[in-house]
Amino acid sequence: MHGRRTLGDHLVLAAVVLLAAIWVAPIAWIVGLSFKPNDELMRSTGHLLSPPFTLKNYADILGASSVFAWMLNSAVVAVGQTVLTLAVASAAGYGFARTSFPGKPVLFALTLAAFAVPEQAIIVPLHTLFAEADLHNTYAALILPRLAFPFGVLLMTQYFKAIPAEIEEAALLDNASRFKVFWRIALPLSLPAQATLGIYTFLHAWNDYFWPLVSATKPEMYTLTVGLASMQTNFAQTEGIGFLMAQAVFAGLPVLVLYLFFQRHIVTAVAGGAAK
Amino acid sequence: MSGAADVLAPGAAARPVAAASAAGVGRPSLLNLLFVLPYVMLMLGLVAVPVGFGLWLSFQDYDMLGGWNGSVGLANYVNLLSDRIFQGAVRNTLLFVAMTVPAFVGLGLFLALALNDGLRRSAVLRSVFFGSSVLSVTVVTLIWRLVYMPERGLLGTVLGAFGLPEVNLVADERLALLSVVIVTLWWIIGLPMTLFLAALQQIPREIYEAAALDNAGRARTLWSITLPSLKRTILLVAVIEAILQFQIFGQVLLITGGGPNNASRPVVQFIYEAGFRDWQLGFAAAASQVLFLLMLLAALGQLWLGRRQDRG
Amino acid sequence: MATRLGKGVLAAMAAGLAALASPAGAQPKTEITLARFFGSCEADYGTNTDLSRARGECGVITTLVNKFNAENKEGITVKPQVIEWGPYYQQLTSRIAARDIPAIAVMHTAQIGDFIRARIVEPVDADLKAAGIEPSEFTPNARNGVTVDGKVYALPWDTHSWLWHINVGLFKQAGLVDEAGEPRIPKTVDEMLAQAAQMREKTGKPYAVMATTGSGDTANGARSFYSWLYDQGGSIFPGGFDKADLRTPEALASFSVFEKLAQANAITKGLDQSGAIGTFMNGGAAVWFTGTWRIDDMLAAAAKPGSPLAEGYTVRVFPSLFTKESVWTDNHSWVLLRGGSAKPEVRKAAQTFLKFMWDNNLAWSRAGHLPARAAVLDEYAKLPLRQYVVGIPQIGRSLPHEARRQFGFQAMIGEEIVSVINAGKTAQAAADAAQERSEPLLRGR
Repeated sequence: MHGRRTLGDHLVLAAVVLLAAIWVAPIAWIVGLSFKPNDELMRSTGHLLSPPFTLKNYADILGASSVFAWMLNSAVVAVGQTVLTLAVASAAGYGFARTSFPGKPVLFALTLAAFAVPEQAIIVPLHTLFAEADLHNTYAALILPRLAFPFGVLLMTQYFKAIPAEIEEAALLDNASRFKVFWRIALPLSLPAQATLGIYTFLHAWNDYFWPLVSATKPEMYTLTVGLASMQTNFAQTEGIGFLMAQAVFAGLPVLVLYLFFQRHIVTAVAGGAAK
Repeated sequence: MSGAADVLAPGAAARPVAAASAAGVGRPSLLNLLFVLPYVMLMLGLVAVPVGFGLWLSFQDYDMLGGWNGSVGLANYVNLLSDRIFQGAVRNTLLFVAMTVPAFVGLGLFLALALNDGLRRSAVLRSVFFGSSVLSVTVVTLIWRLVYMPERGLLGTVLGAFGLPEVNLVADERLALLSVVIVTLWWIIGLPMTLFLAALQQIPREIYEAAALDNAGRARTLWSITLPSLKRTILLVAVIEAILQFQIFGQVLLITGGGPNNASRPVVQFIYEAGFRDWQLGFAAAASQVLFLLMLLAALGQLWLGRRQDRG
Repeated sequence: MATRLGKGVLAAMAAGLAALASPAGAQPKTEITLARFFGSCEADYGTNTDLSRARGECGVITTLVNKFNAENKEGITVKPQVIEWGPYYQQLTSRIAARDIPAIAVMHTAQIGDFIRARIVEPVDADLKAAGIEPSEFTPNARNGVTVDGKVYALPWDTHSWLWHINVGLFKQAGLVDEAGEPRIPKTVDEMLAQAAQMREKTGKPYAVMATTGSGDTANGARSFYSWLYDQGGSIFPGGFDKADLRTPEALASFSVFEKLAQANAITKGLDQSGAIGTFMNGGAAVWFTGTWRIDDMLAAAAKPGSPLAEGYTVRVFPSLFTKESVWTDNHSWVLLRGGSAKPEVRKAAQTFLKFMWDNNLAWSRAGHLPARAAVLDEYAKLPLRQYVVGIPQIGRSLPHEARRQFGFQAMIGEEIVSVINAGKTAQAAADAAQERSEPLLRGR
């Protein structure tokens, strides 16, 4: 592992750096576009580094764009879904891993089966059911369908099983209730798994597209994904490329900053799903 | 623990339930049911019921606006099988999975191996490759539509700078699907890369030291130590990506719209159009069942492959 | 039954999540929702109420709503809900299915039949009467568009049609103008191809530009297809509306025009709407296949100093390349959706708004479309370039309301044409595929 740098090493490094350039270039490109006047972009996008530059596209967002409202909706949905998923999946995971109750094998088998159901394949019946219940265009409709998350339950079940049972046994002998043991002892020990599941869920909710597309049909209930998509189909007919790119930058920036801030934790947490 | 890898292998996951200590599990109690009750309600109401309802719908003539119009037996399925757009959608989806899953495994593994050291440079590069995963699909497609845009796009500009002719990936029947593959890789390569990095950290250092004593070359170490240790993770990444990529939708709808000549329309887009454009919910539900079946077959195939390799 | 159990479970969960339910507080003033496309341009016209400053479809419609909200005395607020044009009808359907029904929606009259059959759009005779709008004020073309079985189902808003937008400068360079400096318009497919060859030789530019890759762009191919089909007296429903025939000699000839244009490299490939506009505005192609709605936008662009269109910009009705003079037309119209304005005060407000819109029909037609109001036609004809398009109602054709799934047909035919242009599909293969795809479209009710 500590050998001298070989030609192979240099080639690998060159390939990785080249790839990194491919990863960064599109983002740099649209950031550049967002500072150019729309009129000029209509003619050419070839002079990104020479004037004129403008801040108008960003000023216009503050004045007129619905991006703020969409971001708020996305944040409510993503945070709400993450918190509730963690609560539901932790409790169920603990129940399956540590307790015994009638019907457990059947319910666990059902969970495994539910894990195999692709979420996009039940959108049509879900949409009809929510329409019958008159629930579309609410946060509840945006959050509920993704709360039944068998993957999360299985992940938590595995994690709780891996925690040595002796700690809990001592507490149980002291006549602590099951719930108290869960709340006071097991839950704090499961924080790494919570982080993994939480970040998965958050990113999943933040990026979800099909369900919000058909459920949040009122423009004021749009999430960021649906709202931005509604603008991009004919950007020439709207305010132009620069404005659209400014909105993309504006919509992407908060999560990107958040990510850079917490990146060490996020990467560890995501990896937590694979190994500990 | 081996976490998600076990989660994805039902047999392995079910085993420890019986193995757990008796005291840990305790006496059966109805009260304990409360732990799983919220989840069970959600699962029944939002997975089991829709699955059943969807199956029923697939045998009905159900118009989104006009409502239920009686059962049609197998007609939806018969029509589906003879529908060339649907056949194309199935082909595109399979092709897409066949292109992306190996690419995610290969590129993810390559990046993980190349960046698995303590150098600051590697840390920066890791965040570069993971960073795009936090962007939402619409931001990603906005960016890439501008990259692919003819004449004024980044791709054309870069190719032009090298004196190369412009290629219009999005409008070319043979390349449209590839254009979506590239976007998808760019978007979420971070997850497989990170999973591989985590797995690499798990390989005990002693094994490498032993190999070094044996004067094993780098290539041989990689081939006979690193890769075998990563087998489970490779399977995990392949399964996760297959599940995700079978359900591809947003990128295609927003970049190619399924065209040209139906060369990139995936099954989920077909479902969306049959249901929400053509109002034929029964037909859309039948297409959903086919997607379900395809994914089940693919997952079983992968697990079977994984098991066989485990044994071998 | 699965639904009932589902409903019960869902209702219980919804109660549990009541705290998260969206705020839907009652407004003190009357608010009516207006679903529309035409784009959003809040940044440029967000607060503008000056109609003379508004340009293009988006500018005019945004300004009209602002003006109404600022000036009406009844305390009505119209809340526009802008949906992009490509997925507009999918979204509208989803909204109706989700019981989120806008009070007023813009609708193409080609679409209205399906929505009437689904009992979503209801007659507005009584509303027009209450608002003081006489259907006799409609132009005959507009009246046809909104009338089904003697009942009026919408307030017509315009007649729009399909044009050639022409860069006269390029025509001059290619030597394709007459003594008066006006572009010579081809009368047959061969003449057009000959012009295209000459254009390529003299200027290096493609003859035609048309958007083909965006989600709404399939309509472009379909509108051209229908126009050429009607130029031959053809129809896609020669034997009644239960079966389409997309392989008649006329239909095949229509597909072939695109095949020939593509083979001669005379039409741009792989451009989306933004790319097509950019190409035309930058002088990158001689003729842009698009509609009446771009006239004002292009006049504005050509007037800018240094514009490649400064040498001359003009329009012509999509020229006949066959035996008859005919062209595809459609109308935008305002419908009241069932359940969208159930409350009497909302209904009343909707009527007031419709009246305001009707009174400002001329302002809308400044964007390019022909007005739906007969009384302002003369005024319209005086606007720039409109002398070339005022004759459209006499030669315009559209499918009758009995023809089902017109939007599905438009998307499907357009998609096949996109394949001909971008993927080199043959006209015959496109016609065969279109024929096959027409069957599931008509399978539903």
